[in-house]
Amino acid sequence: MRTRFLIVDDSELVRKSLRTVLQANPEWEICGEAADGESAVALFKELHPNIVILDFQMPGINGIETARRMSEIAPAVPIVLFTQHASSDLEKHAREVGIRSVVSKTNAFPMVGMIEALLGPTDPDPGAKESASPVKE
Amino acid sequence: MGEQEKVNILMVDDQPGKLMTYEAILNELGENLIKARSGKEALDHLLKTDIAVVLMDVSMPELDGFELADMIRQHPRFQKIAIIFISAVHLTDLDRLNAYQRGAVEYISVPVVPELLRAKVRVFADLHRKTQQLEMLNRDLRTLSARLMAMQDEERRRIARDLHDGIGPLIAALSMNNGLLAQQTKKLGPEVSEVLQQNNQLVEQLSKETRTISHLLHPPLLDEIGLLPAIRMFAEGFAERSSVKVTVELSPEIGRLPPNVEISVFRIVQECLTNVYRHSGSKTARIKIEPSQEKLLTVQVCDEGKGMPRTNGVPVAAGSNHGVGLSGMRERLRELGGTLDIQSSEHGTTVIAAVPVSKTMVKSL
Repeated sequence: MRTRFLIVDDSELVRKSLRTVLQANPEWEICGEAADGESAVALFKELHPNIVILDFQMPGINGIETARRMSEIAPAVPIVLFTQHASSDLEKHAREVGIRSVVSKTNAFPMVGMIEALLGPTDPDPGAKESASPVKE
Repeated sequence: MGEQEKVNILMVDDQPGKLMTYEAILNELGENLIKARSGKEALDHLLKTDIAVVLMDVSMPELDGFELADMIRQHPRFQKIAIIFISAVHLTDLDRLNAYQRGAVEYISVPVVPELLRAKVRVFADLHRKTQQLEMLNRDLRTLSARLMAMQDEERRRIARDLHDGIGPLIAALSMNNGLLAQQTKKLGPEVSEVLQQNNQLVEQLSKETRTISHLLHPPLLDEIGLLPAIRMFAEGFAERSSVKVTVELSPEIGRLPPNVEISVFRIVQECLTNVYRHSGSKTARIKIEPSQEKLLTVQVCDEGKGMPRTNGVPVAAGSNHGVGLSGMRERLRELGGTLDIQSSEHGTTVIAAVPVSKTMVKSL
């Protein structure tokens, strides 16, 4: 079973590049896209993705608030904050709402490796993970 | 000469005949003349009307001129009123001194020379009019300055947002595309790989430059997660760019504040650090933000530089930029009802801004 990504970014250009990068891995697919936090949360509920790539600064609620709402729904699903503003403070806030990892948009190189590490070796089944691994630290 | 606004002149005397005489003398000035037959009546007028000049008799039954002058001066709103005494008795130097100590601007003895009285009243009426005009201009300037600062903040926010929304995604896309190419280095050959490597460095530099401009214009974290993270991030970037070692002490209980307070405090800290770098010669700076009272926030920025030049014991701006910065800070604080205090010596400068906040912050012990 392929790993299903929800990608959230208000820039179509960034979403397009993310699609290209992620789809380079045949085991990965994009199950949904959103351009703002509110609709991302709705899609998250509907599509049950295995992982979320989430922008920080968007119209409406920001990435931190979006992640907080997603973590309340399904805390085991890893969320990667993909932002132009990576900093230690932002990372701290991100951790508090259950975001697993913060990746700088301007140095996206480590992203793929980080996603692979987050997903673990070969177990992309979110249902199993959700019930097995408890929530936030 | 154009039309000028009339000012009110209050004449106080218990004798109607004298009041009529003063009226005849002063009519020519074209101002509003108000008559009062007693000290009490005079006080009634003072409370209801904006009076420029009070012309009063020293000897009156019940409340005499000196007592009335005392009562007028006690009221903060009446401190600037010009009081002119007229007296047929009490003509010694001691009486005059008594009058001036009560804040009189003139002490005229009877018989009154009409031209002289008119000329004196005219001077004080004009002075009052000019003071009023200056106060009005000053208020207008303050309003304008506050509006300009708000517009500048808004404009900076807009440009930062344009950079984020316009250039940011382009850089991100470039970076991701380079990442994809980098996975194919085997197919590319060493020369192309080398160019790709260089491109990566260029993208990173471009990103860094854009980020710095955008953060100086308007820190993104300020709106999204608040003042304290924005200050910490700005201080980190400032330390990196300037080689000034910055320590930051922020009380976590401050939390989120109203947007106008957050942006003003951020700008004050930003201005202070710019001054440290440009003028102080200090290698260190310390930012401390904490609640000093229940509803008062204290923002302190200290350095160990050469201090600010002083005029009459008061620290003054070194350069024009510095000057605009300081008055800008003062204006921002005035808008919030706060105060600015600068302590400066040859061992360094400490800028302390006190900002009232509506929410209660309990200082953690």
